Amino acid sequence: MSRLLNYAVIVLAATLPASSLLAHHSFAMFDQSKSVELRGTVKSFRWSNPHVFIQLLVTKEGSDDEEWSIEMTSPEHLARVGWKPGTLKPGDKVTLVIHPMRDGVKGGQYLSGTGPGGPLIGSPQPSQGEGK
Amino acid sequence: MTLRRLATLTTILLGTVGSMQAGLPDWSGQWENVGATPDATGGFNQSLEQVLRTLQWGPPNKPEVQARVDRIVAMEHKRLEAIARGEDPGGAARACTFGYPAIMLDSPLMFEVLPTPKETTLIFSSREIRHVYTNGRQHTPKDELWATPWGDSIGHWEGQTLVIDTIAVKSAFGSSESEGVSVVAFGDVEGEQTITMLSPQAHFIERIRMPDKDHLEDQMTVIDPTNLTAPWHMNRTYERVAHIHRMVYEDCEGEERNPIVNGHFTLAPPPGPAKSRQ
Repeated sequence: MSRLLNYAVIVLAATLPASSLLAHHSFAMFDQSKSVELRGTVKSFRWSNPHVFIQLLVTKEGSDDEEWSIEMTSPEHLARVGWKPGTLKPGDKVTLVIHPMRDGVKGGQYLSGTGPGGPLIGSPQPSQGEGK
Repeated sequence: MTLRRLATLTTILLGTVGSMQAGLPDWSGQWENVGATPDATGGFNQSLEQVLRTLQWGPPNKPEVQARVDRIVAMEHKRLEAIARGEDPGGAARACTFGYPAIMLDSPLMFEVLPTPKETTLIFSSREIRHVYTNGRQHTPKDELWATPWGDSIGHWEGQTLVIDTIAVKSAFGSSESEGVSVVAFGDVEGEQTITMLSPQAHFIERIRMPDKDHLEDQMTVIDPTNLTAPWHMNRTYERVAHIHRMVYEDCEGEERNPIVNGHFTLAPPPGPAKSRQ
């Protein structure tokens, strides 16, 4: 959960009329009560402001691949814990755990993942268990 | 070694020698709030309870201020409930400013501190800057002063401790100076937060020091007889950023990643490259 996003919400609520909100900075569109595991191939790793996205091609048996948009936090935050613009590359086989969109759109909030080299940065190590 | 590199090295050495000659501490490097190390979701590793305990949160609000705070919190809960339903409770605003004192107390940003003989500058990854003048000047005269999200700061050194005096602060998101200053604390769960309100006359005194080579500490006292019954003391400790050794910045431009469509938030990832690399 993002404290940066939280911050903006309450400060605006505190100081502006009730109609104001930093809407684009909320993660409320994600269903925090659900965690979904996606297995797929990285189409692109978009190191972009204000937030980084993983475009993931999820293989579906008997049908075309589905493209999912997985939202992470900002490049500044990710860099502070060791992520780099090239941490993921197109073609990488990954398993990602996400909070899915509430409205069924193929997207979600990144929680953790496993890539070609094992758990992604900040993800639980195998001995800790994924717990998802 | 090229001439350019030699010149750069000389400049750095002269700057360091200059600071050392002035008896100033070396606070170089990047710093972040203890407990505010982000994870890949943008999350943080302290609960609201931990944050409040660390900050020594406990504003001695006057009754009328507490009543206002209670109304704000209740309103915020309703707004968060609406957001949790995926609804848009109102018009969106844009901002990438934390302002003072939040930027020191409970922000997820990293920052640098640059002490020089006449001024110490604090630069944050939101591109906010605090200028603390230590050349003996007084606060800006009243007829030249207006409130800003970062206030008007002067300071002096007591040994290796920087003492900062700040006035003329207004909320970073406020539309009016008269609304005063909001101080917010967050936990690691969306909606887990608390707030208090200070008046436009709030006066802040900080004592920043380096208790050991990997930490900075900020002891802050808020003096606000308009809203508080007594001075309010808080503490914050910062640690070195672990994985990056240069400043990079948050960029709040082009924030249409979550547009509102038919009253509901949705996703809009940035466009990919013109030609797919696959």
